[in-house]
Amino acid sequence: MTIQVTVRCFSHVREALGKDVLNLELEDDTDTSTVENKIREMAGDNLDGITLRVAVNREYMPEPIALKNGDEVALIPPVQGG
Amino acid sequence: MIKTEIVQGKIDPFPSEDNHTGEGAEVVFNGRVRETENGKPIVALEYEQYEGMADQELEALAKETVEKFPIHDLFCRHREGEVPVGESSLHISVWAPHRKEALDALSWFISELKKRVPIWKWAIYPDGTKEATSHEC
Repeated sequence: MTIQVTVRCFSHVREALGKDVLNLELEDDTDTSTVENKIREMAGDNLDGITLRVAVNREYMPEPIALKNGDEVALIPPVQGG
Repeated sequence: MIKTEIVQGKIDPFPSEDNHTGEGAEVVFNGRVRETENGKPIVALEYEQYEGMADQELEALAKETVEKFPIHDLFCRHREGEVPVGESSLHISVWAPHRKEALDALSWFISELKKRVPIWKWAIYPDGTKEATSHEC
């Protein structure tokens, strides 16, 4: 059983991957830490030293959570508003 | 009352009205784009947001600020897209009975905004190249 999730990419993550959006097919019960590891692996060393916060469906997730089919995930590099 | 918006183009400032008779302090902050970043001249900063989450976080933060501090109103407009040097990227107006709580609330709100609202900025140099920046306004 697999699920489809959308990964939104911003700032350093977009630059590192060269994409705004990724569509991933994952094993059921994959959690957010697995997605972060996958993205870091895809980025090579371009995200080394950059802290990423995880948001699912546009809410910060302080701890890893299992993903559901159709979830939108964002790995959020340090924000710089103002 | 709170009002928060992420806008494109020049920020239209909130009106300075005379009918806030319960508030003795109106504090207005404009964060403007400096002419240099990392010691190098720039022509603009470019702001990008996580649409749908940035406005949600900004509104939640404003609500939290009004609950945390004894202030009546907090209004905030943050700009997205390219903001030329000298123009305002962030405009905030706080109304409170006294100045101390207005200033404290404003300072806390800006500090938290810089930690949690998913907005990023890039320095744009005269040759058109871009570079991420984390310097404060």
